This record gives sequence, C-alpha cells and structure tokens, in this order.
Amino acid sequence: MLKTINLQKKYTTDEVETTALANVNLHVRQGEFLAIMGPSGCGKSTLLNIIGLLDNPSGGEFYFLDQEISRHSERQRANLRKEHLGFVFQSFNLIDELTVYENVELPLIYLKVGATERKQRVEQALEQMQIAHRRNHFPQQLSGGQQQRVAIARAVVSKPKLLLADEPTGNLDSAHGQEVMQLLSSLNEQGTTIIMVTHSPSDADYAHRVVNLFDGQVISENVKELAIL
Amino acid sequence: MFKNYFLVAVRTLRRNLAYTTLNVVGLALGITCSLLLFLVIRHELSYDTFHGKADRIYRINVDKISAHGPENNAGTPFPMLALLKASLPELTPATHLFNEEGGTFMVLSLNDKEAPRKFREEKNVLFVEPEFFDLFDFPTDGVNGKQALKDLNTVLLTQTIADKYFPGENPVGRVLRMNNQVNLKVTGVIPDAPENTDLPYQMLVDYESSRKINTFANDSWNSTYSNQQIYFALSPGANLKQAEDRLNEVAAKYRPRSPGEQERYTFQPLTQVHFDERYGNFKGRTISKTTLWAMALIGMFLVLVASINFVNLATAQALRRAKEVGMRKVLGASKPQLMTQFLLETGMITLTALSLSVVLTELLLPPLSNLLELQLAFSILHDPLLLLFLVVLLVAVTFFAGFYPALVISGFQPISALKSKTATARAAGLSLRRTLVVLQFTVCQVLIICTIIVHNQMEYFRSASLGFDKEAIVNIPLPAGKAKDLMVLRPQLEAHPAIKATSFAIAPPSANIDMNTSFRYDEFSVERNFSVNMKMADEHYLKTFNIPLLAGRMYEKSDTMREFLVNETFLRQVGETNPQAAVGKDLVINGNQNQGKIVGVVKDFHLTSLRDKIQPVVMSTFTDIYLFLNVKLEQKNTKAALTHLQNVYQSAYPDDVFHYEFFDDSIARFYEGEQRQAYLFKVFSVIAILIGCLGLYGLVAFMVAQRTKEVGVRKVLGASSASIVGLFCKDFAQLVLIAFVIAGPISYYFMEQWLQDFTYRINIGYWVFLAACVLTLIIALTTVSVQALRAAFSNPVKALKTE
Repeated sequence: MLKTINLQKKYTTDEVETTALANVNLHVRQGEFLAIMGPSGCGKSTLLNIIGLLDNPSGGEFYFLDQEISRHSERQRANLRKEHLGFVFQSFNLIDELTVYENVELPLIYLKVGATERKQRVEQALEQMQIAHRRNHFPQQLSGGQQQRVAIARAVVSKPKLLLADEPTGNLDSAHGQEVMQLLSSLNEQGTTIIMVTHSPSDADYAHRVVNLFDGQVISENVKELAIL
Repeated sequence: MFKNYFLVAVRTLRRNLAYTTLNVVGLALGITCSLLLFLVIRHELSYDTFHGKADRIYRINVDKISAHGPENNAGTPFPMLALLKASLPELTPATHLFNEEGGTFMVLSLNDKEAPRKFREEKNVLFVEPEFFDLFDFPTDGVNGKQALKDLNTVLLTQTIADKYFPGENPVGRVLRMNNQVNLKVTGVIPDAPENTDLPYQMLVDYESSRKINTFANDSWNSTYSNQQIYFALSPGANLKQAEDRLNEVAAKYRPRSPGEQERYTFQPLTQVHFDERYGNFKGRTISKTTLWAMALIGMFLVLVASINFVNLATAQALRRAKEVGMRKVLGASKPQLMTQFLLETGMITLTALSLSVVLTELLLPPLSNLLELQLAFSILHDPLLLLFLVVLLVAVTFFAGFYPALVISGFQPISALKSKTATARAAGLSLRRTLVVLQFTVCQVLIICTIIVHNQMEYFRSASLGFDKEAIVNIPLPAGKAKDLMVLRPQLEAHPAIKATSFAIAPPSANIDMNTSFRYDEFSVERNFSVNMKMADEHYLKTFNIPLLAGRMYEKSDTMREFLVNETFLRQVGETNPQAAVGKDLVINGNQNQGKIVGVVKDFHLTSLRDKIQPVVMSTFTDIYLFLNVKLEQKNTKAALTHLQNVYQSAYPDDVFHYEFFDDSIARFYEGEQRQAYLFKVFSVIAILIGCLGLYGLVAFMVAQRTKEVGVRKVLGASSASIVGLFCKDFAQLVLIAFVIAGPISYYFMEQWLQDFTYRINIGYWVFLAACVLTLIIALTTVSVQALRAAFSNPVKALKTE
C-alpha cells in the first residue's frame, strides 16, 4: 500500500537545522495494522504527518498506492487525502460548532457524496461506533471516549483505504482507551489498513507489527503476527 | 456544502456574540451613514433631470471680467429674448423666467358681504411665457399650461396654494390681487412643483404681468436683474459653441462695451445650475460638486473604517478557528473552499448589518430630511438604483472586509493549525492590524480636524464684524413703488419709545438684492471698466445701521438721486487714496441719466455673505425703488414696538400684509448651507470615531487575552498595575502619533482648499492639529485602558495557568 525509501524531513529555523526523520524505510501492506512507537521527539508524528499527506518530506521517495507522491502539490495531496485517508487524533479535533452527525458528515460533503447516500453512510458509521443516539449533540456535551468514537466514525465514513491514528487513546482513561482500541482492531479485521502512533505498549499490542523510532531513525521492528501478510 | 457553511457560520457567530455584535454594530453604523449620504447625493444629482429636454436646455449667463475680478450673473438684459426669437431660431423654444420672492395676495370676494382674504408668500412666484411648457416637463395633471397662461393677468396655482387660498372652493375663475398692483385670474390648479428643481414655484403667472410687478423692468440693454433669466432649448443638431458665438455677435450690436470691458454671454446646461454657486438659482441653494464628492468620500471612509474593524477583529479571532480550519484541511477541503466558507460568513455578518442599516436609515431619514430641508425618499422595493447600491455595498464590504481574513485563515498549515501553532500568521497579521489601526486613526483625525476648522469658520461668520449693526434691527418689506405712503408717517413710526431709528432703503446693507451700474468719476470722460453696486437709501441709513463715515457728510433728504456717498473700495478702485479728496468730486451713473456730487465716504461694509469680496458702492437717495423699512429697536420691549409698527404699516397699506424679519436671522441664512455641512461633518466624525473605538475595544480585548501569560510573568516579577496599563497604552499611543503625521498634512491641504472659497476666512492655527491629536489620544487610550486595567488587576497565578 505504501512504501518509503530513505525518507527525510528537516526543519530549518534561522541557523538551526533539526533532522526529524533520517532515511526512514518503511513498507506497509494492505490490511496491515502497524504501530509506531518511540520516545517524545523521535519523529513519530512527523512520519505520520508525511504518510498522512499533511506534510511533504525533505528528501527520499514516498510511494502511496504505487504512485510517487513526495513532490505532490497541496491540491493533489488534498485530493488523495479525502479519497483514501482517514485520521484519528489524540485530541479528537471535532468541530465544536457542528453536531455529532454533522461532524461525521463533513468528509462526505467534501467528497461530494449525494445527500441520500450521505445520510445512509453517516447513520451506518454512527451505528458502527455505537454513538447514533448522540447524533444531535455537540462535541462538548460528550465524554472523551464518546468524542473519540465520533472522530473514528468521521475517519471511517468515507471508507478510507488507510486509517491514521495519532495516539488515539492519549486523552482517554483506560476503560475508554480499550474501547477505542477494540473499535480500531475490528475495523482492521474488516479490511482497513491502520497506522497508529502510540506511547502505550498495551495499545501497540493490538498491532500486527511495531516499528520503533529513535532520533528520526527506525531502530527495530517487531512482527507479531505474520499470518495475514 | 453551503448548508454546512451556513450552520457553522450561524453557530460560530452566536457563540462569539460579543465579537459578532462589535462587527455588526460597527458595520451597521458605517453602512447607515453611507446609505444616508447616498440618498442625499442622489437627491442632489437629480435636480431638473426629469425634463425630457434636460440635456439640451440651457440658461444664458453673463460673464464679465472687470477691475475687481470676474463677475458672474444669470440675469440677462430684458430685450434679449426678443432678439433670440427674431434672429436665433436654433435657441428656441426659449422663455423668460421672472422670479418674484413672494408678495401679498388678496383673494377678491365674489360678493361685497365677504371681506377679502389676504395672504403673504415669502418665495417663488414664477412669471413664465407660454414656451415654458414647451421647454420643461413639470407635472400639470392634464392642465394645458400653455393655453392657461396665454392671456395677460392669468395665474396657475399649485395645489398647496389653491387649498390655502380657496379651502373647499373651486379656485378656477376667481381673482387674486397681487401686491395690490395686478389682478390675476386663476385659470387652473396644477400639482406642487417637485422638490428637485431649481425653478421652484408656488404659482405660475403669465410673464407679461411681471412688467407691473418688477420695479426694475425696462427695455435697456445696459441693465440686468438677477431674478430675470432666460432658458432655452438648443435645437437638435445645432452646435452649442457656434450658437453661443452667434448670440454674442448679434448682441454686440445692441450692447455697446466700454474699452477694456470684457463681457460674454455664456450658456449653462440646466443640469449644472444646481452646482454652480457663481450664478445662483431661484431655489436659493446650490451645492458644489466638490461638496458632493466630499460627502461620497466620507461615506466611503465610514464603510472603510467599519471594514477595517472587521478585518482587525476577524484576523485576531482567526486563532480560535485554527482547529476547525486544520481539521477541514485534513478532511480534504481546498483553499478556495475554505475561502468561500469564510467569505460567506463575512457576507452573513454584512447582510445582518445591512438589514440593521435599512431599519436605522428608515428611522434617521426623517430627522435628516428636516435638517437638510430636503425631501429624501427611501423605498427599497420600488427603487432599482437603491437596490443595486445595496447589493454593490454588500458585495464590496464582504469582499473588502472578508478577503484578507479569509486568505489568512485558509492559508493555515493543517498540522500547525491543529496544534494552534499559527505563529507566523499571527505575526504577519499583527503588523497588518497595526497598519489598519493607523489608517482608522488617520481617518478619524482628518475628520476631527476638518470638523474643528469648519466649525471655526462658521463661528467666524457669526461673530465677524460686517461693518454695520445687525442686532435688534428688523427689516419690513414694502409694496413696490409705494414707500412714500409710509415715509410720510415717519413721525408716527418713531413715536414709540422702543424705536431708536428708522430708514427706508432698497435693501439692508447685506442682502441678496443687487443693483449694478456703470459710472463716470470726476473728470474722466470714459466709463470705468467696472460697475458699482448701488445702495439706494434715505438719509437715516448710516445712523440706523451704525455705519461710520470716514469723510464728508451724509447726503441730504431727497426723493431722487442728487448727492452720493461712496465706500473705501470705490476709492481704491478709482485710485484715490485720501477719502477727503473724493468729497466734492462729480459722479455720473446710469449712462448719463444721473449726476451729482460725492458728499461723503463710508467705511467698507459687507454687501453679501463673507464668501464675496466687498464691491465698490455708490449710495444715494431714490424713493421710488425703496423696498424695505429698516427699524432699529431697543433690546427690550420689541414686541410692543412690533405691534406699533404693524399698526402704522396697516394704516399706510390697508390692503397689504405686514411682515418682518430680524436682520441677524436673514444674515444667518447666507450661511445655512455651510451650517448644514458643518453639522453633517460633526455627526459623521463622531460616528467614525465611535466605529473606530468599537474596533479598537475588540482588538485590545484580544491582545490583552493574547498577552495574559506575559502580564502574569511581569506581575510575578513585580510589575505594578500602572506599568501594565502603560505597556498597552504605549503601543497605541505610537499608532495615534503615526496616524497624526499622516492626517495633519492631508487635512491641512483639504481645508486650505475649502477655505479658499471664502474671501473672508480664518487662518488654520496649529492648535487645531494639536487638539485633534490630543483628543484622539485620549479616546484611544481610554478605550485601551478599560481593557488593560482588567489585565493589570488579574491574578497572575490564574494567568500563568492558562499556558
């Protein structure tokens, strides 16, 4: 599904150059559940942002669905993003002014999905995340776990090929965290490829493979289950 | 998609109610002002545009260059129209218009039992030829005006006058006696003249009847009277310039010129009559195109200031929207989509403000119409131009106010936006906001400086010495040609203890009545190439108005011109330096008709408003053309004195209506236009400042919130509340000063231009600028301090926790 070859990312501020990623080589297959781990500042989120087409690499190659896209323009990346990618963030990032239903509906609007189909797919996603009864509430009226379920519903409603999760349980208590991980796991079982950044070893346990980053480099890979590969 | 934008917009605006209110109120104020100004400007531009031939109707003016500068007059010699009709067919149809400033009207009763009803009108009795109806398209309601006024002594009444004179009766066929001189038969009733014409009338009278009313009527090519004008329509296809040349050529045969005299008849388009102060009009009010431009500019400024508020507040608020923008971008929203969303939001705010403005305009229009004495119309649904203006305003404000914030917001990088790390955008936005605040302060200061200067000039008009007394003097108009009837009663008039002096004259010293003539001074055989202003008055004039004599004595009592007084300007222009030397010299005026000796020299006094230079004046006696009785009263007991005057007046003129006006009131009327402008300036600069303050308040509130942590740290390190307030004030004080550096020269330039219209004017003092600067500083710092104090008194622990 995606492949990086010697992927690099450098930040330059005034006279200081910081290397966030140094020659990262990564290969993710369709249907895989990958966890990226490492200490704060190791480049996890940077890597996820590049994979999520929110940022361009400074060097190296990046293939997504067999296309080299490291030099794509913002518009091209935006198009790929809305068609193929779903995002889940630590801080949920729901739009406060929109209801649960409207938040989940938003990606479909940008995809120009017709009203009838939109309604059907939003309802389905809400049911799947067991949050349908809250459809008319605003994000502030929900618990953290509920908000993250809405965020996941929003991420999967467009049926993305790849779901990216940036510490999805970071702001949740353990019970709600577990709930979210189970949801992600079942999505993966249904065929969605997932890449997740996490600090939590127990969350990483849900993944098939764990990549450890340190100072912007991949230092180890643990493959837990090879059966599906 | 739009539903989603709409929902988010409504909810965001509702959530940030304070921000929304500041924006809506600021914009609504700005838009209301621009809407009101639009209505005023449009009204002013509509004068006499409703005539079918408006684009080819002209007035004949006279332009002269003489020793004391250019003279412009719309009055034409009486025989000119006949010449036009006989030899210049391309200038027809043409009509004389004679405007009589009111008069007395007696409704003759149908039988002897009923006493005749008497009325007095103060303005606009218009004498017209039948061609008037070929030229102009005034509403006649089916009345054939040409037919109605074809006979001598006929009159068409407007509906208002008909209702006033003949309540519940049919006026047609009835007879009105005007000024106790002419009987006029009512031949019809027509609708009132529209407000937007410079040829206003309360009634239309056949032109030939004016010969009995107009004391100045004669058949000489040498005299003109400003209330007697010619309008004509240029034949289609005729060349204007050639026609003008031809008229001057033909008229030259009849109008001999003195050597050095430059005089030319010029054609002025009807649609320009309203805007050219030099020639005036029968409405008695002109407005210069410059003033209209100034109004348009003020309107634009006010919308600009309000839009700047919007840009300031919106970019300041942008951070709050960062997360939303970031998430929308993650979900695939493109930059144009985001810009559309934010422009739509601005559009909604603008639309709300616009709706509020429409309501405000509806409320404010009646008082404004009263103030400006204009009939301003405001009905959106029946007014395509107004609708268009509103749509243009909506689009322009939305774009102007919304474009930059939309650009900034939609340009956020998604990752940083999600983490609210839009530092670069913030820094750039801040310097832009500072620039915009400077721009706002500049506009405010320009308006403040202009307001002070205009106000001072008005005060100068009120207080400047005109060279004569104007307090406690009443002017009583007399029936034309009948001054003698009252002059014989002078002992009775002066019998009342509250009456200090009386004088009969053609007019008070400053008046709109002008009589000019050529003259010969001393032994010069040729006429001088400038004309003199004739002031005909009796021997009590100087005493009544307290005008000082510089040399010689007042002339003796006489019914005709025998002795003359001249003023200082006259002396200067004939090259005489010593007033005493002029006494005893010969003077011949009016061709060779009148001659006599100069017996005295008076100090200069103002003949018209302070806009005009003092002209050379010759004063003499001439009982037949006295039109006013001027009475100097004691300050107290004026009421009893007025009753006394009325009784004596009625005994001399039993058929006329007694009427009077205080002299200082009539002088104040010279400056009505300027007074209104001054008032408008004041109102609009206050509103501009108010809008500016609203924006400033919002902006400072935001900046204070942004610097909460800084304030907290400073307080922990021992900063006093005063120093915290000073921190914020210093910033804004700098901006005010920068604005002042820009505003000072701009306003100085414009006000110098404006003041150049006045021959007698104030000088612009440096203190005006200082005052404007200090005033803006006080207003700005007060606004800032209110918010800054809140920050200064906050608990530093709380402040630091917010990070």
